[in-house]
Amino acid sequence: MSENLIEARNLAKRYGDKVAVDNVSFNVYGGEVFGFLGPNGAGKTTTLKMIVGLLQPTSGTVNVAGYDIQTQSRLAKAACGYVPDTPNLYAKLTGRELLRFVGDLYDLDRSQAARRADELLRMFDLTNAANDTVDSYSHGMQQKASLASALMHDPRVLILDEPTVGLDPRSARLIKDILRQLAQRGAAVMLSTHILEIAERMCDRIGIIDKGRLVAVGTMDELRTLDQTGQTSLEDIFLSLTGGAEEAAIADVLK
Amino acid sequence: MSIHSSSMRAAEAGVLASVWKLLRLRLRITYNSFRHARLRNKIGIIVVWVFLLGLAYFLLALSRWMLELLHSPEFIQYAGLDLGAILASIPTLTLSALFIGTLLTSFGVLLQVLYLSGDMDFLLATPVPIRAVFITKLLQAVLPNFALFSLFGIPMLFGLGLSNGYHPSYYPLVILLMILLALAASGISALLVMLVVRVLPPRRAAEILGFFGAMFAFVCSQMGNLAGSFGREIDFSGTRISGLMMLADTRWLPLNWAGQGLVAVGEGRWLPGILLAGGTLGLTAVTFWFAVVTAQRLYYSGWAGMQVVARKKSRARVRSRAATTSGAGLARLLPRPVFAILQKDFLTLRRDLRSLSQLISPIILGLVYTLVMLRGSGEPPGGRGEAPDWFMNSFRAVLTYSSVGMSLFVGWMLLSRLAGMGFSQEGRNYWMLKASPVRVWHLLASKFLVAYLPSLGLGFLFLTIITIVQGLSILQFIYSFLAIVMCLAGMAGILLAFGVAGANFTWEDPRKMNSGAMGCLGQIVTILYLPVSFGLFVAPLGVVQFLEMPLVYGYLAGLILGCTFAAVSTFAPLWLVRKRVERLGQ
Repeated sequence: MSENLIEARNLAKRYGDKVAVDNVSFNVYGGEVFGFLGPNGAGKTTTLKMIVGLLQPTSGTVNVAGYDIQTQSRLAKAACGYVPDTPNLYAKLTGRELLRFVGDLYDLDRSQAARRADELLRMFDLTNAANDTVDSYSHGMQQKASLASALMHDPRVLILDEPTVGLDPRSARLIKDILRQLAQRGAAVMLSTHILEIAERMCDRIGIIDKGRLVAVGTMDELRTLDQTGQTSLEDIFLSLTGGAEEAAIADVLK
Repeated sequence: MSIHSSSMRAAEAGVLASVWKLLRLRLRITYNSFRHARLRNKIGIIVVWVFLLGLAYFLLALSRWMLELLHSPEFIQYAGLDLGAILASIPTLTLSALFIGTLLTSFGVLLQVLYLSGDMDFLLATPVPIRAVFITKLLQAVLPNFALFSLFGIPMLFGLGLSNGYHPSYYPLVILLMILLALAASGISALLVMLVVRVLPPRRAAEILGFFGAMFAFVCSQMGNLAGSFGREIDFSGTRISGLMMLADTRWLPLNWAGQGLVAVGEGRWLPGILLAGGTLGLTAVTFWFAVVTAQRLYYSGWAGMQVVARKKSRARVRSRAATTSGAGLARLLPRPVFAILQKDFLTLRRDLRSLSQLISPIILGLVYTLVMLRGSGEPPGGRGEAPDWFMNSFRAVLTYSSVGMSLFVGWMLLSRLAGMGFSQEGRNYWMLKASPVRVWHLLASKFLVAYLPSLGLGFLFLTIITIVQGLSILQFIYSFLAIVMCLAGMAGILLAFGVAGANFTWEDPRKMNSGAMGCLGQIVTILYLPVSFGLFVAPLGVVQFLEMPLVYGYLAGLILGCTFAAVSTFAPLWLVRKRVERLGQ
């Protein structure tokens, strides 16, 4: 079996009485793309932030590439790349400066970082805008710059929160190809998405979270067997597990 | 009626009804802000309003009393001049000030509400007439400043009317003219905004405006110091004011028509009154309407959104390379993440004009005091020559080092911004540092250096000027420099620690990143720290002078005491907040 690169054990996050993530456990192995699905406010982003080390769990542990994110945070972070849902980047740095800055944060060799930055800029079609400041970028360009900075240090674990939001079809396809190739090279890729078609086609395994609890984890075939209603599409399984809107309620609103 | 039919009916609403609907929304937002405010804030708001109303009444009474006094035959006989003409020009000056003030102040507000607030698309997508949206936006830009101006302007103009016994029609005409002048000014301002946005991206325009606004305000605040120092008193003599007012009273300026028309109506000279005031009303109404229609067209057609000036892409490339070359030496000395953050912060601060304006203020202050100092001799007053030598020597030393202390004060201003907000300035980008494997001490060291190095540079520059102007010896220069090095380090440590404690990453405008109570507390603590720290360097020199001991003992004692205190002040606060840094941004 491949190496277990993300190991979440009994992960929980509470804000006072409100439980955002409730006792979530799962593994993501090297070489796989793991999709993390759930309705709005289900706890996806909170879980991802706890894995990356941006948020301290109330209880439970996360190991990234074999390192505990709380006690060995620097080693865990060095192995991990993160793309947030909103690409908040340093607006007054140019695209190239941003990537070189990230390279320095990860202690990459100067020339290696410069070369890597140029490669990534070319790959994401940002070469022409490389010397423009990030605040002049469109949302899609910022999203690509954010992904490029996450890939600067060639991470073994890549966490992405809604990576395809705001991207044109070509860029979305590029990202899907990159993620697949990363997985083929042994990296663990975990992404949250609302686009079930992406999850169904890209992900080797899928975790579904609802109201902070992980309600299902497995491959598409395993999810089909979990679902009692005999649904076959991910959309139907998702709605069946997370409780979609009742038809009567819909009719009532639209009448 | 179905929901769909209701929404279709909304499309038939007129402009004024829609304006009222949108203004009600603003009122609702204001009311909600008040309703959800803390109790102490609510009480504060009520107290402010009561105070403002009281102030308005006081100004009215004061204006009336003063104007009656100036009209009185006793005053005219005593002062020897008739101020009738001057008083008659008060409405012209007041209304001109309202027009120009609104033109200038509404520019920034309109830039914000039309291009940066983000609700324009939402409003334009609803079945509300576009014209109503623009009129509401103009009213939104005008109302706060209009209210503020009315607080002073209306009591003055009403006071003038009461003291002169003007006709009752004068009073509503004052209000009507003020409203229309303000609206016309805001309309012209909206067109200017469109012109600017045609050339510059709105956010960049806001940055530039913020930069020059801050600079203008700061320079104005320091003008008194310069004027006092250089002895150029402003001429407030009656003749000069009279001349200025007479000039403002000329009839060829349309801006003067409103005031002159008001006076004429007040005095019952109906023909010139109706012509001048009516002309103003018509002109301002046409200006406002033309501006609304044109601004609406320019906005809707996208004319103002298409920048015509090509971006200079090569500039960033050249500057970026220069920054890399100049920092190469420092890069070898520092761990790579520390240098990376240092370089990133300097680039960001330099490129964001809104941040830059906060940094330039201390430099302007330094320049002002340098000019003031250049004019001073640096020598204590001789008096009657009876003071003992030790007293005069100590006094001279105090004077010398008080100038050095001034360079520390300038450094403190710069540090307050750079160290106090070192972490906060990361804003929403902090996740990048938090998700990276950077050590806490590296993070603290980089933020410390970002604040400390420019402050030290400024302190060194200031000290060099002091040395040249006051003729300090090499020993005094070196000793002062050491004192500055250490005192600034201590200040940077304290301010950075308070900055960590009160870090705020949720700001949108760099000018609003101040962390509130913690930022204030940090400034208070460092203001207390500064005289103690610097005093430990300087006091031993005075003591050895008093004891008539060799000065070298004073220097040694000062170095030991001052350096120890400053070093503890540098490291202890940072050590105390090291755990907090790990939790920042959660």
